[in-house]
Amino acid sequence: MNPRSLLLHAYVYAVLVFILLPILVILPMAFSETTYLTFPPQGLTLSWFGDFFTDSRWMASTWFSVKIAVLTAITTAVVGTMATYALVRGANAMGTLFQAFLIGPIVVPHIALAVALYLFFQNAGLSGTTLGYVLAHSVIAMPFTVFTVAAALTSVDPALEDAAMSCGASRFNAFRLVTLPIILPNVISGALFAFIISFDEPVIAFFLAGIRDKTLPRMMFDDIEQNLTPIIPAIAVLLTLLSILVLLAAAVLKHMADRNKGAEGQ
Amino acid sequence: MPQAASPHSKGALIEIRGLGKRFGSVVAVDDVSLTIDAGEFVALLGPSGSGKSTVLMSVAGFERPTAGQILIDGVDCTGLPPNKRNIGMVFQHYTLFPHLSVGDNVAFPLKMRGIGKAERRRQAEQALEVVRLSGYAERMPKQLSGGQQQRVALARAIVYNPRVLLMDEPLSALDKNLREEMQIEIKRLHAELGFTVVFVTHDQGEALTMADRIAILKAGRLQQVSPARSLYERPSNLFAAGFIGEMNILPVTWDGEKATFSNNQDIRLPAEALIEPIRPGAAVLAVRPERLSVAAPGEAGTWKATVRDVVYAGAGSLLITHLDDGSEVRLRMPSAGQANVRSGDTIGIRMPPEAVLLYPSGDAA
Amino acid sequence: MKGPGFFEADGRQMSKGAILLLMGPFFLLVFVAFLYPLGNLLSISVLEPTPTLANYERVFDNPIYATVLLRTFRIALLVSILSLVLSLPVAVLMANSRGPKAVLITACILLPFWSSVLVRTAAWAILLQRNGMVNGFLQAIGLTSEPLRLLYTQGAVVVAMTHVLMPFMVLPIYGALRNIPPAYNRAAAICGAGPLRTFWEVTLPLAMPGIIGGFILVFLTALGYFITPSLLGSPQEMMIATLISQQMRENLDWPFAAALVGVLTLIVTVITLIFSKVFQFDRMMGGRA
Repeated sequence: MNPRSLLLHAYVYAVLVFILLPILVILPMAFSETTYLTFPPQGLTLSWFGDFFTDSRWMASTWFSVKIAVLTAITTAVVGTMATYALVRGANAMGTLFQAFLIGPIVVPHIALAVALYLFFQNAGLSGTTLGYVLAHSVIAMPFTVFTVAAALTSVDPALEDAAMSCGASRFNAFRLVTLPIILPNVISGALFAFIISFDEPVIAFFLAGIRDKTLPRMMFDDIEQNLTPIIPAIAVLLTLLSILVLLAAAVLKHMADRNKGAEGQ
Repeated sequence: MPQAASPHSKGALIEIRGLGKRFGSVVAVDDVSLTIDAGEFVALLGPSGSGKSTVLMSVAGFERPTAGQILIDGVDCTGLPPNKRNIGMVFQHYTLFPHLSVGDNVAFPLKMRGIGKAERRRQAEQALEVVRLSGYAERMPKQLSGGQQQRVALARAIVYNPRVLLMDEPLSALDKNLREEMQIEIKRLHAELGFTVVFVTHDQGEALTMADRIAILKAGRLQQVSPARSLYERPSNLFAAGFIGEMNILPVTWDGEKATFSNNQDIRLPAEALIEPIRPGAAVLAVRPERLSVAAPGEAGTWKATVRDVVYAGAGSLLITHLDDGSEVRLRMPSAGQANVRSGDTIGIRMPPEAVLLYPSGDAA
Repeated sequence: MKGPGFFEADGRQMSKGAILLLMGPFFLLVFVAFLYPLGNLLSISVLEPTPTLANYERVFDNPIYATVLLRTFRIALLVSILSLVLSLPVAVLMANSRGPKAVLITACILLPFWSSVLVRTAAWAILLQRNGMVNGFLQAIGLTSEPLRLLYTQGAVVVAMTHVLMPFMVLPIYGALRNIPPAYNRAAAICGAGPLRTFWEVTLPLAMPGIIGGFILVFLTALGYFITPSLLGSPQEMMIATLISQQMRENLDWPFAAALVGVLTLIVTVITLIFSKVFQFDRMMGGRA
């Protein structure tokens, strides 16, 4: 390795340490016996996980977040796939408007959207409701789902649907039996990303939370702001595992998608 | 006229009446009328953008014509969606469903027709047998070669015994050897099963070998519909003449009996040389390169030409020559037993009057 | 919903009705959960208490608020520059690596990207607290004898935000670098350029859309960032997002909060439109996949 390359590698690995350091520091603390957060952790215990899983408030917020995230994933997958399909198969004229609607909610800072939704939902009686969260999270997760689905849809030869129709399939059946199965891995990974985005979403959750129903990120925010208990590292471990799981699932789905596509004469 | 359909034909009669299709201000197909007899094999031939695919897609139901009608067996299906037309179709790039096995691909049309699973499997296996792929049902499409995939696509198109088979440049993705093999295969299936075939291609060789009749399109308009032999030997206009095979095209002056070249040499033409009556004046003479032969320079009744290039191509050779006035004349002849002609030589070209065709000038080439 | 007859209206082309039916839910969703609420909020900023621009004048006239705006810009710019300095070499090595090394770097970038912002912010809170690791380290190497106050400072905000937003910089640059055909490097080499020259004259200009895209993305996100500044920043030195939250939740001054949102939204929208050509959102998103 020449000196220049050595320098580059040293620099990059230093940056990677910077990137990983906070996570590497917080994770072991979940197993520490002390009630205050200190590094290196002392002792070894799973009691903080126990505390998390037995505390009704943490559990309630976790399930609330899961419910919202699942509904957001389904909403974005269905609504996003429908719209993307129409766009790719004929509504090119609407492309610009579609993109503006799609990108708008993530270009505008989350704080702006959160405040706007807070005001609107207060008046509409949607504050703190599942529907309110699902609506809000769906618009910010939508681009991720749509781009994942669009990438798959544009690579599916439209002639496949022609072929299905020439075989006697209706347009809907051509989509259901041919196109959908081919793009399904992408639709599912798009839904997975929407799930994670919703599940982790802190800003809108901060403003929309009712007095009773708080999402997990909102509970975490309060805990970090007030006393930062070792339950946070325990949750960090769980969330990191979830992220790894989703990334692995996405990789598996990508592999499946590639296999699905492989057939077109190369 | 086309050969009469056999009385046992299982094919359908297709009538295309005054078909037109415009995309915005672009006219893709303009007043095309064509009757395809039951069991006939018709090739639609033309350069890209000639509208041949649009005609096919209109018959298939993927394009809605802006004018005219399409009748299959006397039934107007101009507005019928593709899935209600009972047509078999083979697409350019196989278009096998990548997520389904070969067997499921072939059985797909049967599934759409509500046929039970066991029966589907049986008929699919039968269709695979017809295209000589029995035993491949469990494979996935991508495990097959290009030629095999196209056979599967063929099996899928014929599995429910459609009376019409449409093919959209089905062989263009295959290499030369496979293409010839598939041409024979398709002809065999056509002979065995008797369906009507409409076949789009831009490969004139393919059209000439496969089709009973060839329809030539240019810029959305039908130019000529004829069997291969008359199309090649008596193209009805200068476009068809230039599009099919090679043709020497030379400007002449026509006086009703003789065609006179710019060097004042003339040739007396029989009445058959004229496809349609031509008024005296400027005209265009067309002659196939293989109908010309080499003679000694100055020999009576020959044209003096200078050889510019001799291209040896195995069985045959191509001579590129030019006349005094600079116009180029090509000759094709067997390589064997040919006098040793070299670049720069002066030769005489013998042009048998019965090989010559005359077209009105200004007939766009 | 999707009746088959509906779809067959015109052969291969979908009918207008079918397109409307398929896209309708999407447009409705975005209207209800984005366009209308935002429009409603912005209208309050100019209509309440009376039709006026006074709310906006307050943002710029009052030195306290102007300072917040300026500070927000400064921090966002600093975070973007730091992110670029840290990200460019990572993206270069990532694009030029194969096998386990590429997997390692990609995982190091993607894992934090997909893990909770709150978790990462909490981690920085732990690292930077009085008896935290950073103070411990500084004391151990003798740079300071007393633990320093690191938490609730601008420094903490800048470091943590850089950490959180860095992947948004790495991924677009990586994407741009990966799109450069290797043949260009070979061509440059044949032309006599050394590796550094090639990087400077060929690679960098070609990767520029990715670099600008990443920079703008990080800058815009940092401008409106809420979580990290709220948890790690000093209440005396707040950024605009925290100010908005405070005006709304504590002072209940809706029209003024709305005007602040209006200013922030306007800035972000204008910058986005200016750079819309270099923005390839799908590629940036693709990084998350």
